[in-house]
Amino acid sequence: MNLDLFDDMEGIILHEREASLVSDMKNNNGNGSMTRFPKNTPLAMAYVPFQQWGETYGDDEALSRGTLFPELDLPFSKGGADR
Amino acid sequence: MNERNMLLSRIKKYDFTLKELNLYLDTHPNCRRALAMFRKYKELRSDAVEEFTKRFGPITPEQVSDTQNWTWVEDPWPWERR
Repeated sequence: MNLDLFDDMEGIILHEREASLVSDMKNNNGNGSMTRFPKNTPLAMAYVPFQQWGETYGDDEALSRGTLFPELDLPFSKGGADR
Repeated sequence: MNERNMLLSRIKKYDFTLKELNLYLDTHPNCRRALAMFRKYKELRSDAVEEFTKRFGPITPEQVSDTQNWTWVEDPWPWERR
């Protein structure tokens, strides 16, 4: 069995992922228009969506909710997601 | 709530909103809407702090402007609930 093949695969995946992130950042060109996800999303990698500007709470509600962004207002309560 | 506490709680809300915008801008440094909102809240905060220190004394030691008295040690402390 050729173990070198697996080493290479890992390298290729990492390289691919890095390249897609770097090209996204380059395309961004500092105009603040990063998309929610990178253009290329290789399998078996976990991704966190990039926040986009949207609604905001008023300062009063923000402090009591613990976030300025309704999108991020995700209280974790016992019982799991389908409670 | 008395006026002093109301003013302090306004400052607290402005501080929180500014911190949230600070964190957002760390990852979105070119977002003009966040920048505009940051500027607006910075002004609201500095107006509120100015009003507070004028009426109720310093919130931090470096805000002491009295040339006769070290007003920082006068009661109540900014964090005291009365």
